[in-house]
Amino acid sequence: MEHYNMNLTLKVWRQKNKNDQGRFETLQAKNISSEMSFLEMFDVVNEELINEGKDPIAFDHDCREGICGMCSMHINGRAHGPWDGTTTCQLHMRAFKDGDTITVEPWRAGAFPVVKDLTVDRSAFDRIIEAGGYISVNTGNAQDANCIPVDKAKADLAFAAAACIGCGACVAACKNSSAMLFVSAKVSQLALLPQGHPEKHSRALNMVAQMDKEGFGSCTNTGACEAECPKEISLTNIARLNREFIGAGFSSEK
Amino acid sequence: MKWSQFFNTSIGKKLLVGATGLFLCSFVIVHLAGNFQLLYNDEGKAFNAYAAFMGHNSLIQFIAWGLKIVILLHAFIAIQLTFSNRAARPVKYAVSPGNQTSSWFSRQMAIMGSILFIFIIIHLANFWAKFHYGEMPLRTYPGQEEPLKDLYLVSQETFKTGWLVVLYVIGMIGLSFHLIHGFKSACQTFGLNHKKYNGLLSFIGIWLFGIAIPVGFAIIPVVIYFK
Repeated sequence: MEHYNMNLTLKVWRQKNKNDQGRFETLQAKNISSEMSFLEMFDVVNEELINEGKDPIAFDHDCREGICGMCSMHINGRAHGPWDGTTTCQLHMRAFKDGDTITVEPWRAGAFPVVKDLTVDRSAFDRIIEAGGYISVNTGNAQDANCIPVDKAKADLAFAAAACIGCGACVAACKNSSAMLFVSAKVSQLALLPQGHPEKHSRALNMVAQMDKEGFGSCTNTGACEAECPKEISLTNIARLNREFIGAGFSSEK
Repeated sequence: MKWSQFFNTSIGKKLLVGATGLFLCSFVIVHLAGNFQLLYNDEGKAFNAYAAFMGHNSLIQFIAWGLKIVILLHAFIAIQLTFSNRAARPVKYAVSPGNQTSSWFSRQMAIMGSILFIFIIIHLANFWAKFHYGEMPLRTYPGQEEPLKDLYLVSQETFKTGWLVVLYVIGMIGLSFHLIHGFKSACQTFGLNHKKYNGLLSFIGIWLFGIAIPVGFAIIPVVIYFK
């Protein structure tokens, strides 16, 4: 693919802190290489802002290789931008052309309050995990991995669910700000494996209860989460979560 | 988790919406089967006898009242969920993805449901209230002793009015768009998502409930209007 440089107009959300109302700021990004990642383009813009003595744009990033789930940017109406199955750091500037105007917003959800500019607080996800997204094991030596037989097909499904990086794109993309795809991936990766079975009922009930408590919306099965998920987590996980929750709700003795 | 807590969770409420929705899906099949008798060329003999049976059989009357409660419950919980879903995003996006990430039908459930609800109220006022509580013309068919309430005649007269036919067709478009997403969505809420059955569920949702049934309903007033 041929390399080219471009000039862009950015409309970026600026917000001092969670109590600030926030507004869009229009910035020019000049001489941007098509081979840069979207975050590198932001680095260039921020360098200039710093040189001018202005406040750089705050945005989350960590690994820059698509596995940490930090780079939460809503770009031109799409979570992580126009490419499917990628995070913002994996989005390259060749997705845009010279003269484009790009609107960049933070994840919008009551459960994800803006910390500053494009940075949001996703600790609601941590509290959902704390409510049941784990298995309890006794201390001592780990037992031999081969002593619990695991069906290969189920192991593959569990692995696909475990690919969830907790980035929150599902919440950002959902018109209801629902966290069902995230919760379903976290419930599924354990429900599919024998190690997850002993706590499957309390896990489904507690994680859904925490999800509701955090103020996420409910799922209306539009499929926007699946379309935007950088790890392509399937909607079949949401169906599994529903089955787990129904099973637990109808049979739990508490 | 107690039942009261269970049905107060987001999934619990959705289960109620899904269950009532699927029950209403089964109802439209029965209703349409009955309506087709309006197209018989028997001056309404079969239809009026059917209406008299439906209006007097106590089991059917019991289900009919249950049906009204189910419609209200379906609407009430769905409205409640819609409001809490809107509240979950206090600051909206400046740019939205439109149809790039989800189908248009899936995002219009509340609007289509509202159109349908208004339609149902007008529909009940036009026929059900008139049949049970209003003045009805009577008709005695040859070979019968008891006169029957002539609901057939009422429907023929109602659908000679153009705007009522248009309203009916709009109501059925609402039904179509609501069920194109609604049927399959309810299945997903109940955890029914399986490679071997998804094709069949989509087919039933789109072609049977989304197209065949609403078209079947809509044809009848149109035929009456142009007869």
